[in-house]
Amino acid sequence: MLRAQLHRQSHTTGSRAAHPRVQNLVVFSVAGQRLAARTEEIGGVLPWPGTTPVPSDTQFVTSLIRYEDSCLPVFDLAAKLQATVREEHSLCLIVKHVDGPLAICIDAAVPSLHAVPRSDVQYQSGLDPDLAGSCVAGGEQLPLINLATLGVASRRPA
Amino acid sequence: MSLRGQRAVTISSGHAIRFLITLIGNSSVALPAHWVRGIVMPGSAGPDGVATWAGAHYEPTDLAARLKVKSRDRSADTRLVLYGNEEASRSFVVDRVLGLLDVERAQIHPLPTQFRGRERERLLGFFVAPSCVALIANPFWALELPLRPQALEMFAIRFPEREVEDGAPRLPLPAAAMNEPVPISSGTVR
Repeated sequence: MLRAQLHRQSHTTGSRAAHPRVQNLVVFSVAGQRLAARTEEIGGVLPWPGTTPVPSDTQFVTSLIRYEDSCLPVFDLAAKLQATVREEHSLCLIVKHVDGPLAICIDAAVPSLHAVPRSDVQYQSGLDPDLAGSCVAGGEQLPLINLATLGVASRRPA
Repeated sequence: MSLRGQRAVTISSGHAIRFLITLIGNSSVALPAHWVRGIVMPGSAGPDGVATWAGAHYEPTDLAARLKVKSRDRSADTRLVLYGNEEASRSFVVDRVLGLLDVERAQIHPLPTQFRGRERERLLGFFVAPSCVALIANPFWALELPLRPQALEMFAIRFPEREVEDGAPRLPLPAAAMNEPVPISSGTVR
């Protein structure tokens, strides 16, 4: 379901394409906010199946979605961004999270793939541990989000 | 009142747990059925809110508020569930009783690790029922008893290795349960 918009640099020779000078990113949007994430942290994209609410004290983790024979927890990334997603017009991003698969509700715009030169990715540790830094993908300056550890770092005791 | 249905998922072997599935607000909440002592109309409780059934008293507890679920307004479907064991008993209002379901142990999933708050005390996990995802309320928490690990295991019913067709009317109760049948009724209390 991902739409390939590979950077010209990825169409070079095989030896150069395999060189780790390129970071593969997926660009998607949540409540209109454009974000980038590392491709290896994403397990797939599905139509949004709707949620089962869970009365939860965990910040931003308050529901489940049905997935295959079981359910996945949902991280409400829109709520973290202080925005709202219209679930009826959404997609489900499956994240390879360190605690197990996780679902995120994203906008209906199909995510795009980008092969970005490493020099266009700036890693920085800021106040929000869920943000890895920023990058330039498809000509846009975008925040780079740590999907695999979403919600993990912020819960660690100081 | 009769329950809306009792169904069995396919049993391949091993253990299952029988749940009473209720609706509280928008959440399907399942409780191990072995401690269900009765299901009565809300008006059956006394003015002090205490329901009496078969000589036992059931103090009211607001399970919806404790679960942090917003319950619906009272309706013709609202019921009072009488729940207890040898140590404690409580009654609580549910918006609807959906029925009994025998769920194979393997079909019961713990809450995913990403849920890391006090909800892990309140909810033991979930299972996918035919029409919903049911959240399993911790029966010890519901009765305000000390919590214990592996709380669901004591409710497991062992079945012989055989296939039970979907929709089978009933599954064998364990010996302990047959000695102490669990009344499920909406008859008048007191």
